[in-house]
This record gives sequence, structure tokens and C-alpha cells, in this order.
Amino acid sequence: MADRHDIFATGDSASAVLPGKATIPARLRMRDRFLSGNIRATLRYFRSIAAVLLVWHLLALWIGNHVLLPAPDRVARSMYRLWAGGDFIEDYLLSAQRLLTAYGAAALAAIVLGVTMGLNRIANEFLDPVVELLRPISALAWIPLWLAVLGISSTLPYFVIFYVALFPFLLNTIGGVRGADPLLIRAASTMGVRGSVIVRRVVLPDALPSVLTGARLAMGGAWMALIASELIGAPNGLGFSILFFGATLRTSDMIAVIAVVAFSGYLTDLALRLLQRRLTPWKA
Amino acid sequence: MTRQGDRLLTAARAVALPILAVVVWQLWASNLPADSNVPVPSVVLQGAVDLVRSGDLALAIWISIRRVLAGFLVALAIGVPLGLSMGMSPWFERNMDPVVQTFRMIAPVALVPLAIVWFGPRGTAAVFIVAYGALFPIVLNTIAGVKEVDRLLVKAARTMGLKGRQLLRTVLLPGALPSVYVGIRIAMGLAWGAIVAAELTVGFKALPTAEGGARFGAGGGIGFMMFYLYDNSVSPDLIVVAIISVGVVAYLTDRILRYIGRRAMPWARL
Repeated sequence: MADRHDIFATGDSASAVLPGKATIPARLRMRDRFLSGNIRATLRYFRSIAAVLLVWHLLALWIGNHVLLPAPDRVARSMYRLWAGGDFIEDYLLSAQRLLTAYGAAALAAIVLGVTMGLNRIANEFLDPVVELLRPISALAWIPLWLAVLGISSTLPYFVIFYVALFPFLLNTIGGVRGADPLLIRAASTMGVRGSVIVRRVVLPDALPSVLTGARLAMGGAWMALIASELIGAPNGLGFSILFFGATLRTSDMIAVIAVVAFSGYLTDLALRLLQRRLTPWKA
Repeated sequence: MTRQGDRLLTAARAVALPILAVVVWQLWASNLPADSNVPVPSVVLQGAVDLVRSGDLALAIWISIRRVLAGFLVALAIGVPLGLSMGMSPWFERNMDPVVQTFRMIAPVALVPLAIVWFGPRGTAAVFIVAYGALFPIVLNTIAGVKEVDRLLVKAARTMGLKGRQLLRTVLLPGALPSVYVGIRIAMGLAWGAIVAAELTVGFKALPTAEGGARFGAGGGIGFMMFYLYDNSVSPDLIVVAIISVGVVAYLTDRILRYIGRRAMPWARL
């Protein structure tokens, strides 16, 4: 009994018995290194960004024209003003709603179409040429046509975002479904599992990593589409704010909005990355 | 069924939906009132013939291609050296990576108004946008390419006394090239979207006749031409012609890049 107890207690008793310098600092050092790894990366990040801000500030001083290049502190004040006043929040929420609605619709369409095209050869022969015809045409090129048909309108961004988000999502879903292990599918059908259940329980989980990669690509494209379509063809939203501040030469306000857009894009990508780690831990 | 019959059936399926779509669209659009802004396929075809014959379309595409290439050269000139140094020096990469990752999050299109403030409503602004958008795929793929170079090859070259620029030219650059090339292809895909958006937005700020003397604002590039067609209500049919030609040019550019890649880098499986 006593022996076993000793074995379990090895680490602590050893460090208590020995002069200490040999063991405890070693273990502490390991924990230290682990902690400081994260802290150091964060510090490094802020150090690099601080260097950029410094260069930016000096450049702004040198140019001496806040319409051409406002100093960072001016942009910081703009940022505060944007969030303190109510208009910007309204635009932000409007854009977020457009982005998420159109992205959701594209995701739904892509998964339904992708599973169909991935599993059914004849459906694929019908639909694949359409996809290949439309895919090389940049969605941004459609904007003037939507403009001519709809006029400057709040519905235009939905079309553009949907179009941009659809293709990476669709192609990755098709790829993932085609890559699903045929042995698993055959095994499931041998055991009498119904087709729709096979799709839900076997094919989709196997295709998930590829679908999620498509989801991240699509989100990046969706942000670009949102900004471009609001910049050119909508009377409100974040893209319109950028255009408006640019046209009225409020450059520091404009840069503040651009920074908000970039940070929001980062947050959505981070969310999808976390989802990826959660749903497909073996890939992350 | 015979093999040939099978192939015919596949071909028939391939064209079925596009043809059906065009026919339905034609029937629907030609029965709309005359003042509607919906393009009609038969008129689109007429417009295409007209634009190609007059040379306006070719001019607009040529102007845009020149801008894309100019932006690309800028992106390459900055991106490849930056990527090479980040790939070779861990210290430089640690300090530079946050900067690259931060600026990468900014959609190039969002910078169009800023580019207009800096460069004025001219082609230079569009070139800047293309360069900005193309920079990041090129940098990131160059870094990855340098890291993928076989360490053994680098060691062998070092043993044989290669240093600095020689090592770069004979080992690192050829080793990284396939990855750089993938970055270029990704960047080219983005560039065609960026140029259209940039020229469109620049068009908002420029006077419709500011650039070039050609018809339909063709002197301002394909995106500007689209804006001109919309802004002057010339015809939605011609806009469709412009959209389709953007797709065709983007597709051809990728095919050309793929061809060049296979010829120039036979050692890489592309």
C-alpha cells in the first residue's frame, strides 16, 4: 500500500525531497513556455501593428493633408463617432442582415444542388454545363445589369451575394460528396438503410470538411460582393457609407468604415474556423 | 446503348438547360412592354455583332487587359520578393505576418473610393485595386512555395558552396515557382472581378465622356463601358454582351496561364 502510494506521489514528493532547483523550476519553465507562447504571439502581433501605425503616422505628418491620408488618431476619433451616432449602426445591421440572408440562401441551394449533382450522374450532366458557363463570369460584372433592370435598390445586394457565395460552396459540396467513401455507402445500403438517411448520416458527414472549406471561401466572396454591390448599386449599407464618405472627402470616416468591414470579415472567418474545429476536429 | 449514342445523349443533356433557358427568356422578354429594361436574347446577339464589328468591345477589353497586367506586374514586383524573404527568414516572417494577415482582410473593392481620393477617377485607381487584390495570393503562395522546397536540396546546394543570390536563383526560386504560379492563377481570377468593380465605381465619379473618344465609353475599359451603358440607358442588351465577354476573357486568361504553366514548369504536376 505504502509503495503504491509512493508511486502515485512521485512528482510532488520528489520535488519536496530534492533541493528543488532541479525539478520545480523545470516544470514551471514548461508551463511558462506554454503560456508565454500565446502571450508572445499576441505581443508580436501588436508590436507589428504598432510599427505599421507609426509608419502611417509619420507618413500622414509628412503628407500633411488629412483628406489624402488622415493620421491614425484621427481615424480612431472617427471610429468613436461612428459608433456613438446611430446612423452607422443602422447601416451595419442592414448590411449584416443582407449578408447573412443571401449567404444562408446560397448555402442551402448549394448543399441541395451539390448533393444532387454529386450523387446523380444524369442531374450532373444537365447542370454541370450551366455551372461552368456561369462560374467564370464575375458576379460583380452582373451589377450593371441588375442596376438597369432594378435601378438602385435595396434588393440588388442579395442577388450579387447569392451569386458569389453559391459557386465555391457548390463546387466544394460536389467534390466532398463525390469523395465520400463508396465502401461506407455500400455498407449502409447493404444493411438496408434508406437513401435519404444514407445522404444525411453517411454522405454529408463524409463531405463535411470539403463543404466547410467551401463555406469559408464563400464567406470571403460574400463580403466582397456585399461591399461592391452596396458601393455601386444600393442606397444604404456599409458599402454605401464608404462611397458616401469618399465622395464627401471624409477620408478618416471612410477608413474607419473600411476597418470595421475588415474586422467583421475577420470575425466571420474566425467563427467558421471555430465551427470547422468543432465539427471536423480531425481536420483542424 | 452504344458508346456513341451515350456520348450524344450526354452532349444533348449538356446543352438542354442553357437552350431551354434562352428560349424561355426570349419568349418572356419579347412579350414585355417595349419600355421594360429586360434584355432580349435576339437583341443581345445583334448587339454583340454590332459591338464586335465596330471594334468598341475589343478596345474596352484591351484597355482592361492592360490595367490588369499593369496591376499584376506591380503585385508581382512587391509580392514575390516579400514572399521570398518571409519564406526564408523566420524572424522576418514572424514580424511581417501580422501585417499581411491584417491587410488581407480588407476587400480590394472597399478601397476603390480611397484609390479615387489618391489617384483621381482614372485608370490608375483601377490598377491600384488590381495590384492590391493580386498581392495577397501571390505573397502567401510564395511563402508556402519557399517552405515546400526540399530542405535536402538547399543543404546540398549550401554544401557545394552556393550562397545568397545564387542559392535563390538556382534552388529556391525554381522550387517555389509552382506554388507562386498557383498564387498567380488565383490572383488572376480575382483580378477580373476587381477590375470590373473598380472601373464601374470609377465610372460613377468620372464624367461619362472623360476617358477616350470611342463609343459607349469603351476607352475607359470594359467596366466603365458597362457603367456608361447603364448610366446613359443605352440598352440593357449591350450590358449583357459586356458581361458575357468578361466571362469569356476571364476563362481564356486562365486557359492561357494553364498552358504557360505546363510549358514553363514541366517538372511540376499542375
